[in-house]
Amino acid sequence: MKSALKIDALREAVARMPNDRLSDARLAALQHLDDQGTPTTRHEDWKYTNLASVIDLSNQWLADGAESAPPGSDSATIDAVTSRFDANWLIIANGKVDLDSIALAQEAGIGVALLSDSIATFDFDAPLADLNIALLHDGLCLRIEAESELSKPIGILFIDNATAAVGVTQARVEIELAAHSEASFIEYHASSGTASHYANTVVNLDLGDNARVSYVRIQDRHHAHSQTNRLGVHLGRDSRFSHCAFDLGGKLIRNDLNIQVTGPGASASFHGLYLAGDGQHIDNHTRIDHRVGPARSRQEYRGILSEYSRCVWNGKVIVHAGADGTDAEQTNHNLLLSENAEIDAKPELEIYADDVKCAHGTTIGTLDEAALFYLRTRGLDAQEGRQLLTRAFAQIIVNMTPITAMQETISGIVADRLANLIDGVE
Amino acid sequence: MLEIKNLKVRIGDVEILRGVNLTVNAGEVHAIMGPNGSGKSTLALVIAGHDGYEVTAGTVTYQGRNLLDLEPEERAREGIFLGFQYPVEIPGVNNAYLLKAALNARRRHQGLDEIDAFEFLKLAKEKMALLGMDPKFLNRGVNEGFSGGEKKRNEILQLAILEPKLAILDETDSGLDIDALRSVAEGINSLRSPDRAIILVTHYQRMLDYIEPDQVHVLSEGRIVRSGDKSLALQLEEKGYDWLREAATA
Repeated sequence: MKSALKIDALREAVARMPNDRLSDARLAALQHLDDQGTPTTRHEDWKYTNLASVIDLSNQWLADGAESAPPGSDSATIDAVTSRFDANWLIIANGKVDLDSIALAQEAGIGVALLSDSIATFDFDAPLADLNIALLHDGLCLRIEAESELSKPIGILFIDNATAAVGVTQARVEIELAAHSEASFIEYHASSGTASHYANTVVNLDLGDNARVSYVRIQDRHHAHSQTNRLGVHLGRDSRFSHCAFDLGGKLIRNDLNIQVTGPGASASFHGLYLAGDGQHIDNHTRIDHRVGPARSRQEYRGILSEYSRCVWNGKVIVHAGADGTDAEQTNHNLLLSENAEIDAKPELEIYADDVKCAHGTTIGTLDEAALFYLRTRGLDAQEGRQLLTRAFAQIIVNMTPITAMQETISGIVADRLANLIDGVE
Repeated sequence: MLEIKNLKVRIGDVEILRGVNLTVNAGEVHAIMGPNGSGKSTLALVIAGHDGYEVTAGTVTYQGRNLLDLEPEERAREGIFLGFQYPVEIPGVNNAYLLKAALNARRRHQGLDEIDAFEFLKLAKEKMALLGMDPKFLNRGVNEGFSGGEKKRNEILQLAILEPKLAILDETDSGLDIDALRSVAEGINSLRSPDRAIILVTHYQRMLDYIEPDQVHVLSEGRIVRSGDKSLALQLEEKGYDWLREAATA
């Protein structure tokens, strides 16, 4: 039989959640999830990513009593992340919002509150977003005020502490940017502990007219940790969204980036780098709906795969009827370091408007032997040459990181990770 | 410095070099000429250590050592430099980074201290000025978006910085306009020295107007069919290669 989420056990777990202002939303989400069912590989969007391991893990967790892990006490990991990147850090540990971090992040121009104090109903969304609400303890709600000038980026650290037992956590952040506001965000996913874990996160970002957002996501989960992650973005008139994502760790990782262009003059650039080693599965699904024009979107994802790893890139661009003046480009480049690595790359363009400019390109290849030979004739040994070439391939995305102060540090993290991939040391 | 004896090389079933003999001494400049497909580039790549070729017979001795035993990077560190006919574009690898890494790989091998960033920049700018190169090329990706002439100049810049003992320049003159050819040739001439040997692989005689070779060899169908002084190049220019092929088969 196919893996399916045990809905009765889930219902019991939801019933045991505290009775609070999110209670109705949890029940409604549960019902919606029950109606839809969890995705299987028969769904086009999930063709290459089988959630069976995540669903089995969730069922085991439900059977074990659906206890959340002890509150994040791994201050060493938290410090390691927060000291590396200068930001006002908000921390969600094991699906629980760290209230102290809310207090520390408050400054003029930003409002930070618990989700339960701000929002009581949610739009129905994809099944995993429903699961997210059904089991959500609480989340964060951020509002950036008009004309605000924040002193630093806002960091959101999702950290899960996987001890001996299996764990499942939900985390959710809703962000609203008022018209003419500007902010930078760092979304960081970290792990502590080595037990099996599944984290399901949802972030929604609503950009008002003329709002500007720089957004960097770094996923550096432990190799026993799986994650599904959804970032939903609404772009208002003349807003600008610049995004760069780095997937470095994790066991089974699925990222959905959904962008809705709802205001003319908006522009979105969203780029990503995924580095996969033995046993990793990293799936990036992006979708941009150009509902109005003119608007511009650019995306470039790059992947480096070694040993028995598998990655998926599916980039969908939909230009809706009437969205004339849309200018959309997408590219995806993959470097396979092993014969056992697999990439499923799928660009999708659906165009229902007349006056549009769209382009896409996908490449899959191995290291350029001619370039490697060239480097060796200059005195670099083969290992050094391979490292240099793979780093160069990745650096193109690092250089697009919209929070430029992060580039050097990210470059170092990427280089370390690549050194491990190339040496086959995990 | 370099002694090649009866070198036979093939790719798959195709024999490309069919018994090449060549001796190059320190301080000499040799020109290897020949028609398309005669094996000129193969010879250059085999000396540099390309693993796409199978050596089936013969020896290559460099400074008394069996060159064929060495990896390409070991050959480079021992002072062999190949200027490529088609230099590779490597986007994302900074030109200055590669130059410095290459120089330091050689210096480490020689037991010298690594050069620091400041000294390197000074050296690189000095050599670039000599070759009439804009310093902005230092911060570009290796050959990324360079024109044909810029790529060739970049090869000569590497040559000038690395100061090898044996330089093999594979059709460095192709794709150069007359001004570029002159400045590249001046760059090469400035590197002539009693302890350095240079092998110019070329199709045409025109580079030899600027760089006077000690010996000229004609490679045809995988063999050196004739050797002589610089006047041989002029004869070739006048009569073409067919004259030699006919002479060889006669």
